[in-house]
This record gives sequence, structure tokens and C-alpha cells, in this order.
Amino acid sequence: MKLELSDLTKSFGDFTAVDHMNLTMTNGVYGLLGVNGAGKTTLMRMLCTLLRPTSGHITCNGKDIFKMDGEYRNLLGYLPQEFGFYPDFTVQDYLLYIATIKGIRPAVAKKRVKELISQVGLTKSSNKKMRKLSGGMKRRAGIAQAMLNNPHILILDEPTAGLDPNERIRFRNLISELSEERLVLLSTHIVSDIEYIANEIWLMSDGKIVRKGTSDEIINSMPEKVWKCFVEHSLVSAIMKRYKVSNMKSEPQGVALRIISSEKPFPEAVWVEPSLEDVFLYYFGEKVGE
Amino acid sequence: MIRFEIKKVFSKPRNKAALLFLIVTLIIVSILTINNVRYVDENGDATTGITAAKHLRELKNQWAGYVKSDVLSKAIEENTAINNSKEALSDIVQEKDKAYAKKQGFSDIIEMISNAFVSFGEYDYYRADSVTTEEVSKAYEKRISNLQEWLDTGEEHFSDAEKDFLIGQYQNLETPFYYEYTDGWQALLQNISTVILILALIIGFFVSGIFSDEFQLKADSIFFSTKLGRNKAVRSKIRAGFLITTLTYIICVFLYSMIVLLLLGIDGASCPIQWSMWRSFYNVTYFQAYLLILLGGYVGTLFAMTVSMLVSAKTHSTVVAIMIPFILLCVFPFLSRIITLPQICSLFPDQLLEIFVILKDSGLYEIGGKVMGTIAIIIPAYLVPCIALQPLLYAVYRRAEIK
Repeated sequence: MKLELSDLTKSFGDFTAVDHMNLTMTNGVYGLLGVNGAGKTTLMRMLCTLLRPTSGHITCNGKDIFKMDGEYRNLLGYLPQEFGFYPDFTVQDYLLYIATIKGIRPAVAKKRVKELISQVGLTKSSNKKMRKLSGGMKRRAGIAQAMLNNPHILILDEPTAGLDPNERIRFRNLISELSEERLVLLSTHIVSDIEYIANEIWLMSDGKIVRKGTSDEIINSMPEKVWKCFVEHSLVSAIMKRYKVSNMKSEPQGVALRIISSEKPFPEAVWVEPSLEDVFLYYFGEKVGE
Repeated sequence: MIRFEIKKVFSKPRNKAALLFLIVTLIIVSILTINNVRYVDENGDATTGITAAKHLRELKNQWAGYVKSDVLSKAIEENTAINNSKEALSDIVQEKDKAYAKKQGFSDIIEMISNAFVSFGEYDYYRADSVTTEEVSKAYEKRISNLQEWLDTGEEHFSDAEKDFLIGQYQNLETPFYYEYTDGWQALLQNISTVILILALIIGFFVSGIFSDEFQLKADSIFFSTKLGRNKAVRSKIRAGFLITTLTYIICVFLYSMIVLLLLGIDGASCPIQWSMWRSFYNVTYFQAYLLILLGGYVGTLFAMTVSMLVSAKTHSTVVAIMIPFILLCVFPFLSRIITLPQICSLFPDQLLEIFVILKDSGLYEIGGKVMGTIAIIIPAYLVPCIALQPLLYAVYRRAEIK
């Protein structure tokens, strides 16, 4: 399986959401990391044929995905950021319906739905109405629908958004389990999700991939160092103006800071191994919290 | 796939409530229709409903058969005799009602004579009282000659071709008329337009979300990213809309008709509608009129649904789509009052639900030298767009983008 993006651009009026992007994906897990508004969802929507590019092409094994039409979508599993469903359908009916529009024969669909319900841990809730499921259960139903056609390409847009830590870990493990021998593109702004499961990470900003590589490569790409120090409360404001602070923990005696800087910020600062979160802050720092 | 689309529609609490409302409305309209039939007993007391229909049916069917000169004369004789009776001459209303009770069996024939012996466009309930047994044999000819006289006055602006068409239709009507108790059909036809209008609005409620709900529920991304999401699944939505419209329409109309006809009597299906619509140029029986009303109502409902679904697919808004049947079927009648162009207003979509009224009307259209009534124009005029808009609906929805 090979997906290629050639000079891919999507503009909405004057705003360019995806800007002349060139990428190649084969089997493996790709983590798309970027702040809100970076263009991740637009890119994913184009990959799911939900949006047509303004210019450029997306090909799957050399064929234009929009020309492939249903043939391409047959290879696709998609969990959108805003996972909409039919609130008055039971989990089982919902999955059976999606199986039908994925072109799966009824007998096969029944079997597949049963398997997936069990795999995502919704067996006890299979006859519950979708609107009665918890946030985590809905997401699990969402991943189950994406997996119904055993897709070669799995696109997951912010799959762990809104989940509590337990659900998130569980969901992350589920994605890892499902990602074998497929092309998985996972978008998130939760750095740890990607760090755990992605083989390759893409950092996206302003519609462009600004950096890509494995977790280690991305971390090593950062030209600055990470320092840990403990300062008085009164100094924090001045430090934050001068340095990029990737973490701050307030304690009774002072504040523990994690600072990104090429120079040692204080004599007592200790150099530490950088993490992906530090890199995220380094590249997108000025936009975090926008 | 269609099964799931239908399930989506009827699993929504809003639509369940609408379905319940429809059932309750059908029951209420059925009761009102049944109570339309009125019978006055020998004591001058009036009753309505099923018992009234039973008595009236017995009385009227004693006159069943072809209404030739002898039957018309007999009706005049009996009418005169009753008019001269002590009860009829009394000043007491109850006594007069007792006299009327004796006329009920042939009151339709008397009314037909009254219609025949007044000028076209006029009405005199008591005209038959002064018609003699010699004159009455000309009742059928009077229908044609009255029309001819009216056309000659030039009160209405008909072309020569239209005049010839009207005269031809009048002449082509088979006489003598066949008579039977027809009150069941008359009550049914009078109220069926209300049933159809309620049905159309509620069906609009059902189908308005078929396309837009995917967007409203944010289920669009998954729907359109599936293998069949931009082809077969769209077609199944269109089919589901068509099926919901057709089945709801047929089931409800059939239930309403069966309730009314079984309780009021099915007799009179083959009688000409001129028994209650004397001036109508549509030479059809009550059953044929019923079918025409149903066909018009169905095309009207289908048209409103098609436009509603198109709006739903284009705007992604269920609220806007729900308003479409209301605008087409309820707002247009008001427009007809403002716009004083009857030739145009009688072709507004709401008229498809008013075939019962059109049957009484003398609206004519001349197209390519051929004259035809409103019904012959309006039904195909809306049926064709219903069919033609389906590919457009498909194209609009399958190209939808998720922005």
C-alpha cells in the first residue's frame, strides 16, 4: 500500500489550510502532530475523499484516489475528530448499517460486527442505544466502524480527544493492536499518544510538514537543549518572557521548570534528555494556547 | 440499506411523535367524516353517523337504478304529495322535518331536478317543487341547454374551442344517470383533501431529515468515506424517501377510505359525480373521482417531498427542508388570493391536493389547439419534475464536501 501526496494544496478563500504538500506513506503508523488549525483535519479529509484538493493529487498505488472512487474507499477506515452517529440506533444496528454502506454482505457483516464489538470491549453494551454510551464507549464504537472492512488504510483524527487517562491508554493500545500491516495515519495534539505508537512522526504547521522522522530523530532534530531547574515564584514571569518553558510545577518552596535553551539558563540548571513534548513546544511554542 | 434508512427515520423520537399525531388525526377526521352523514327519522329527529348512514342507505337504495323519465316523474309526484301534506304545510319546524324525512330516499333526485331547472351558475333548492311531471323528462337536455345559454352570455371568456369542448363533454355524459346511495362516497371525497394535506405535511416531517441528518448529526464524514457512500447509499436514501412517502400515503389513505366506506357504505361507486357536482364537465364516477383525487394528492405529496429532500441535500438543514412542504402546500393558497390570475393559480402545487374542488370547476387550458381540463395538465406538470429531479438530488448529495 502506497499513498502519495503530490503538491497537495487546499485553500478556503484566502486561507491555505494545506500548502503544497509532498509526502509518501507506506504501511506503518504515521503520527501527525500539530496545534489546532495546522491543517491536520483538512489533510485527513482530503485523504478520505471528503474534500477535493484545490490543486495537486493524492494517489493510491499510483491511481488518483478521486478517480478510484468506491474502489479507494473500500480500502479505507476513518474515525473523524467529531464522531457523529445515529443516536437512536443500538451499537449493533449502527455497526451493521455502516457495514452495509461499506458494501459488506449481510452474513459477513453480522460476523464481523460481533468480532469487533468483542474486540473493542462493547459486548455488554451492544444493544444499548448509541446516545447512552459514555465518551470512551462511543470512541470504541467509532474505531469498530472504521475497522469493519478490515481497511488497508486507517485514518484516525484525534481519536483520543476527550477521553479520560484510562480510556486513552486503553484506546492507544487498541490502535497499536489494530495497526499491524496497515497504513495508519493518526492525528492528535496529545504528544504522548503519538510517542507511544507512531513509527514516523510528522510535525505540521500552517499547512506544511515542518519536520518528520522517528520519535528519536525528531527529538534529536531540536537544536536547543532542555534544562531542569528550581526557582523562586517571583522569578517565573521574567523567565517565561526570556525562555521557552515546556513544563512548570508549582511547589511550596518554589517552581520546578523545564526550560528549552541553547545556553544554560542558570548555573544551577541541570541538562536533561529532551522529550517529544519539548520538541512540540520548541516548534509550536508560540502558538500553544492560542 | 433501505431498511436502515427507514429505521433511521422512524427511530427518531420526533418522527415517532409525528406518527402518533398522524394516527390520532386520522381517527379524528374519520369520526368527523362519519358524522357528516345525517338522517332525519319519521319523528323529525336528526341523527348522524353510522346509524344515520344505515337508514339513509335503505331509503335511497329503494330508488336504485337508471333515473329515466318515469323515475323523474315519480320523484316529482311524491315530492308534490309530501309538499302538500299536513306536516309540510305546518309552521312547526319539527313537523316540517317529519315531511323532509319522507323525501330523503329521493332527495338526491329532487336536488338534481332543481339543478337542471335553474340557469347555469344559479341555485334554487325549491325549484323542483314547481317542475311538472311533463317538464321533468327534459332534465338531462336542460343540463346541456343551460350550459349553452350560459356560454352564449359571454360571462366567462371561453374560446370557441373551449366552448365546443365543454358542450362536447356535457353531451358525452352518459344519460340517464345511474342512481344509488352515494353518501359514503360523498362524505369520503369531501374530507379526503384534508387527510391528504395532513399526510403530506407529516410525510414532509419524516423525509426532511433523510439527507440533512447526516450533516446535523455529524455522521457525514463516515457516511461519505465508505465504499458506497457516494453512490448506492445515496440512491438508497432517495428510495427510502420514495418508499416512506408512498407507503405512508397508501396505508393512511387506504385506512381512512376503508373506515369511512365500510361504516358509511360503499354503494354508489359507479354513479356519476354529477349527482353531487351537477355542473362538472368531468365525466367520471365517484370511484374514478376518488382515484383522481388520490393520484393528485400523491403527485402533490411526492413533489413536495422531492423538493424537500433536494433542499435537505443542498442546504444540509432539516429545519429548512421541513418548511418546504408547508410553503408549497399551505402558503400557495394564500398567494392565490393575492395573485388574481386564475389560470396560473389553479396550477399551483397546492391544487394537486384540491382535485375534489377542481372537479367542480370549469378551468380549461388550450395547448397546441387541444383543450383540456386542469386535472389533465396539473398532474403530469408535477409528476414530470418529480421524476426529473431525482437524478439532480442524487448528483447534489453525492458531490457533497465536508468542510
